[in-house]
Amino acid sequence: MREIELTAVTVEFPGRVALRDLSVRLDQQRIAVIGANGSGKSTFARTLNGLVTPTSGEVRVHGVDAVRHARQLRRRVGFVFSNPDTQIIMPTVAEDVAFSLRGRGLSRAEIRERVADALARVGLTEYAEAPAHTLSGGQKQLLALCAVLIGEPSLVVADEPTAYLDAANSRRIARFLLDEMPQQLVLATHDLRLAARCEVALRFEDGRLVDHGDPGPVIARYERDQDQ
Amino acid sequence: MISLYRPGNSPLHRLPAGPKLLVVMAAALGISLTPPSPALLAGAAVAVTGAYLLAGLGAAEPARQAWRLRWLVLVVAVSQVFFLPALTVVANVVRVVVVILLANLITLTTPTGLLVDAIERALTPLRPLGVNPSRVALMLSMTITTIPVIAGFAAQIREAQRARGVPVAPLAFAVPLLIMTMKHADDLADALTARGID
Ligand SMILES: Nc1ncnc2c1ncn2[C@@H]1O[C@H](COP(=O)(O)OP(=O)(O)O)[C@@H](O)[C@H]1O
Ligand SMILES: [Mg+2]
Repeated sequence: MREIELTAVTVEFPGRVALRDLSVRLDQQRIAVIGANGSGKSTFARTLNGLVTPTSGEVRVHGVDAVRHARQLRRRVGFVFSNPDTQIIMPTVAEDVAFSLRGRGLSRAEIRERVADALARVGLTEYAEAPAHTLSGGQKQLLALCAVLIGEPSLVVADEPTAYLDAANSRRIARFLLDEMPQQLVLATHDLRLAARCEVALRFEDGRLVDHGDPGPVIARYERDQDQ
Repeated sequence: MISLYRPGNSPLHRLPAGPKLLVVMAAALGISLTPPSPALLAGAAVAVTGAYLLAGLGAAEPARQAWRLRWLVLVVAVSQVFFLPALTVVANVVRVVVVILLANLITLTTPTGLLVDAIERALTPLRPLGVNPSRVALMLSMTITTIPVIAGFAAQIREAQRARGVPVAPLAFAVPLLIMTMKHADDLADALTARGID
């Protein structure tokens, strides 16, 4: 069961409606979210793990109520932010990854083993003991992803994960998210080529879901409207 | 001031973090209470240098660190020189430098994570007084993580101001630094929440 279901969701900030009366059901593997700056992409992404609480309406992710059980939901939903620098909590690479496993009652040896596995998967093994701030932007974003994946979430939400990266690092992160990762993915992005690789695209405008469906046509209409 | 861990395999590296903290704290207390006798002070300086050698960090490392503390030394010395006998002032300077070198010796030979764990364990008896050891440990770790980030902000601001040819005024430096730091704290709070800490 990997259904994401929003029913009549509205999110208001003081003096600003960020999401208006949104109802949608999604069960695709890779879900793209596109739209201009300020259209509501991040707000939508953040409701999926309870970082934003709707003013009204209901959010259910994989059967869990995102408002009433936000804490439980965060164990199942991993979140990758744009800025590689603001996701690192602990001083060294291995410690930061291990941080995601705290409070799960695992032994030290078990934690060490899982951290080593997870670092190997994203190719950061040789940096395990390095201070996290010495990594490059792309490596930091891989670290963030690694810290998310080690918690074995069933959904990964990524909010413009390539915004701060150069072309090569963007491709690496995108390949990981879109091709290698088995988890369901919600990807808010300005990079329409990445959106095109998803199974479905949602387009927001001024807090409203104005278009959704097969990414090809949704993106084509978005580009046409931008050109006008 | 916070020098990060340098991997190694010396006796000091192998000593568990808890006992190491205790020994070094006892040594720091000892040197603070030492009477201002030239022989004892010289002995303390030699002992610290010896400890650095034992840790495989070389005799030049304590000298480098002492040099980095020159401004602090100046402040300590100048603020006392008019009121206290010269030998007492020298003793106080030596004490401050030796205690800081000892503290750095711990961070240089102990992975940060183990150090934070040891502090967390040491605080556990204070739980009935309302101290939450794991919160304190988390805050310590995050502080250590954040220091280089804020240093990076400072460098960015200095560069931006130099690039525009603006002479660096203290306020024009402090305000953007404060704003960037607050924004960072905000984002970090989100990251913590997303990773299951509220
Ligand atoms: N915490 C907040 N407080 C006030 N306004 C906000 C907040 N978060 C988002 N907004 C506003 O909501 C609107 C949608 O923002 P957002 O979801 O971040 O858009 P996007 O990610 O598509 O750029 C914007 O106008 C933004 O200014
Ligand atoms: Mg956004």
